[in-house]
Amino acid sequence: MITVPPVNWPALLPYLVIGGGGLVVMLVDAFVRTLRKDHLTALTGLVFLGAAIAMIAVKPEPGPQLGGMLTVQMYTRFFDFLLLGIGLVTTVYGSAVYSQDGDYRPEFYPLVLFAVLGMMVLVAASDLLILFLGIETMSLAVYALVCGRRGELRSSEAALKYLLLGSFASAFLLMGAALLYGCAGGTSYAALAAVGGTGEGGPLFAVGLGLVLVGFAFKVAMVPFHMWTPDVYDGAPAHVTGFMATAVKAAAFGALIRFVTIALPGLAAHWSGLLTVLTVLTMTAGNLLALVQASIKRMLAYSSIAHAGYLLLGVLAILAPAGGDPGRPLRESAVVQAAGSGLLFYLLGYCLMNLAAFGVISQLGRSGGVEADQVDHYRGLSGRQPVAAAVLAVAMFSLAGIPGTVGFLGKFYLFEAAIRAQLVPLAIWGVVNSLLSVYYYLRVVVVMYMSDDQTEPFDGRNWETILLAGCLAALVVLLGVFPAAVHGLTSLAFGTMLG
Amino acid sequence: MALVSDHILSLVTFLPLAGALVILLCLARRPTAAGWLACGVALADLGLAVLLWLGYDPVPGTDQFVERAAWFLGGRVQYHLACDGISLVLVLLTALLGPLVILSTKSSLSQRVPLFMAMALFLQTAMIGTFLARDMLLFYVFWELMLIPMYFLIGIWGGPRRIYAAVKFFIFTMAGSVFMLVAILYCWFKAGTMDLGAWLALDLTPTEQLWLFAAFALAFAIKVPIWPLHTWLPDAHVEAPTAGSVILAGVLLKMGTYGLLRYAMPLFPAAAVTAAPVLAVLGVIGIVFGALVAWVQTDVKKLVAYSSVSHLGFVVLGLFSLTAQGATGGVFQMLAHGLSTGGLFLLVGILYERRHTRELADFGGLAHGMPAYASVFLITTLASIGLPGLCGFVGEFLILLGTFGSSQLPHAKLLVAVAATGVILGAIYMLWMYQKVFLGPLGSKKNQGLPDLALREWFVLVPLVVFMVWLGVGPNLVLAKVGPSVERVLEPLTAPGLVLPHGDPRPAPLWAVPAVLGGGGEVAP
Repeated sequence: MITVPPVNWPALLPYLVIGGGGLVVMLVDAFVRTLRKDHLTALTGLVFLGAAIAMIAVKPEPGPQLGGMLTVQMYTRFFDFLLLGIGLVTTVYGSAVYSQDGDYRPEFYPLVLFAVLGMMVLVAASDLLILFLGIETMSLAVYALVCGRRGELRSSEAALKYLLLGSFASAFLLMGAALLYGCAGGTSYAALAAVGGTGEGGPLFAVGLGLVLVGFAFKVAMVPFHMWTPDVYDGAPAHVTGFMATAVKAAAFGALIRFVTIALPGLAAHWSGLLTVLTVLTMTAGNLLALVQASIKRMLAYSSIAHAGYLLLGVLAILAPAGGDPGRPLRESAVVQAAGSGLLFYLLGYCLMNLAAFGVISQLGRSGGVEADQVDHYRGLSGRQPVAAAVLAVAMFSLAGIPGTVGFLGKFYLFEAAIRAQLVPLAIWGVVNSLLSVYYYLRVVVVMYMSDDQTEPFDGRNWETILLAGCLAALVVLLGVFPAAVHGLTSLAFGTMLG
Repeated sequence: MALVSDHILSLVTFLPLAGALVILLCLARRPTAAGWLACGVALADLGLAVLLWLGYDPVPGTDQFVERAAWFLGGRVQYHLACDGISLVLVLLTALLGPLVILSTKSSLSQRVPLFMAMALFLQTAMIGTFLARDMLLFYVFWELMLIPMYFLIGIWGGPRRIYAAVKFFIFTMAGSVFMLVAILYCWFKAGTMDLGAWLALDLTPTEQLWLFAAFALAFAIKVPIWPLHTWLPDAHVEAPTAGSVILAGVLLKMGTYGLLRYAMPLFPAAAVTAAPVLAVLGVIGIVFGALVAWVQTDVKKLVAYSSVSHLGFVVLGLFSLTAQGATGGVFQMLAHGLSTGGLFLLVGILYERRHTRELADFGGLAHGMPAYASVFLITTLASIGLPGLCGFVGEFLILLGTFGSSQLPHAKLLVAVAATGVILGAIYMLWMYQKVFLGPLGSKKNQGLPDLALREWFVLVPLVVFMVWLGVGPNLVLAKVGPSVERVLEPLTAPGLVLPHGDPRPAPLWAVPAVLGGGGEVAP
């Protein structure tokens, strides 16, 4: 006899708003004949705002929901707001692109909403089943988004590739979850922590963990599970690429951080050796491959891999003290606190700078869906569109980690935590890597400011997109100069997760 | 007024940045107005720097006008500005060159003037901030921020190979700073704060000191540049527009020597003492190498660029003589070099605007047609060579004197002897260049009828000439303000009982050892 756990409606309200909103948007599009596409954009925006208002206005007791399937706390709320913001920005970018193309893609709007719903669930998951549910909801929506330009071969190829490889990754994750269930007798994080803490898991438990890790590694694009990233980022329309580079990555990291800290604090030793190797590989390969790209979208794809490497450094810093002293609860360690809040800060900054960059990229295309996807297409941009060029330049400097931008402070927080966690060689390697990255980010600035105009310039313009990207770039600088308030917030958010 | 006097350091630092933002936001399409606004802002900044100079009390040589506020991480990273004698003269130099540079570009610049002005002002903020910061992270932020405007100045308004030069400049400097960042993080881990004062009190083992010193010194040595890390300099100088070269030679290169004196040496005293012979020798190699290479240049600008390598070799030698005299001379030389080399680049720029060439072979006999220009050039050349009575002499003399009396530097006298040949070589290549350009018959037809100095150019050059003479005749004006601060900064290096990496505690105060021993390495206990 299955007992239905009590449902705490206020806590679930944001999820319901987003999910219900998605359905409404889809139905409105299908049945309201007199619709203009602006209406759908506005409606989608309203859904996002409604969800945000629901989170601000209704404050449920933080804690486990639906019998421990989901956890709602400040940590998940931090990610919810971030994801809603990214969703909103993507909606605006997307509708600008579609009006520029003269192409109408109504399915885009509900898909973004469903993807965001999946991501929010993914971050809040406290059970492997919900984790899987979140990942799949997110992924199915994103597979379809990648295929945003149906007529174009590249876009379809990217979608197919992503779908096939993503399915494999999901299968790995599911297999791992099954093995863990077999060992732990339950799928909740708490059950895993109970078995993991005693060290009685045995080899099957370790294999299960490894398979779950593969699932995560695919979503955050860790080397060697990164092969899909450049092709998919390149093939998808630029605003979707921006969505993938930011929201998908943020959500996957949000879930990964929760998973390792809640479910596996006692098993750091099993994870950290393997994770160290993956971290080094991810950073290095991402940066080296980004160096030789001629396409700006591929370059940013590899750069996002490199950034995943820096973020993994933070995850390692969380695991390191637990490895030294398995009995000690994580929340008592200052290093864990520093690494965790640094990770959240970095993720926030990373999303801001990437969204700013992809905004400029998405608006510059020509009508008919031709994108300015090569670095060379940006020649002399500063003369034609000074604001767009400045925004992209700020984003590039921030990605490169130049002081005065949020990218620098994010790295500062992460590397500082890594050094405190005794990961000095890794931190040095990270610093060397960010030096390497300067070269390819700088190249974009070089072509924009120092090269002459090309003969047939890309000159798409959309003031909404530029305004939004400009605000994001301003935030990049603002947070790079005054980080204290936001860092305090991320610190608090991470603290609530540790309990 | 209280606002000004309480926050004068913030004002002097951020006023140019405010000007830059106004230009970018309001005057982006009005080049003339942007130029005038930039000029006005730079002059106002100079006014503030003069106020600073007047209000500074030289006797204790301590940090003054201190501004402190928590920045982030619960106040462990602070916004901390302060000014002592060393910072003071360098800030004044920066503020003086600022308006001159902006004024000098008015005719030569045709495209994207507002952006240029904004970048020049932005650069000024970063440079002044670097000199005033007393929190390591704040320092690092300003230090790296300097790269961005300079990179644009070279890359957008530079010569034909500007992109190569700009990227090389950026990557070289960044490569150095990255290791400094690791060292900063390590010290932060040890100290738990980024405050310079707390770092000076850190108890580091000699081995730690050596590594940390190496990381800091590498970053600064690239910026100076110390031989053999100088290869970015000629490229950057030759490709940079006149304004870029002036700022680069006038101020940016001093960042390296300033950083050595302010951070690398006092923070890691034992390592600094150990490494002093190596760095002094590198300084001397730089002096001679720079001079010899300058001698064979056929491009005037390249010649001046290599002369910078030589002159800054003197500064490095002075600092690592580990004497207050030598280091004070080093700071003076930074100032003097800023004036004379800044002036030379301005003059070369003026010539290039008229003739569009910098090849020595294209010139000759210019003194006939441009007497005023030739006279100013001569004074600047002589100041650069180090003629007594002009600014260049004082610094070099003090450096050589300090090194000669150094008890810690092995073979100090030999080093002085070799370095002194640099003075002679300097006279040779500079006068040889002067002769080729200005003396003899007017060679080519193109050299005839070149206009002499215009009014605007007078405005730019006269202040420089005045200061070159003034500092040469009355060096005490500067030395009195710099000396006490240099002694304070060097205190950790002269403390008795300093444990060197090879393990021996240092026996006695060094100045007690007769300078005649000279050999330094083996002092009698």
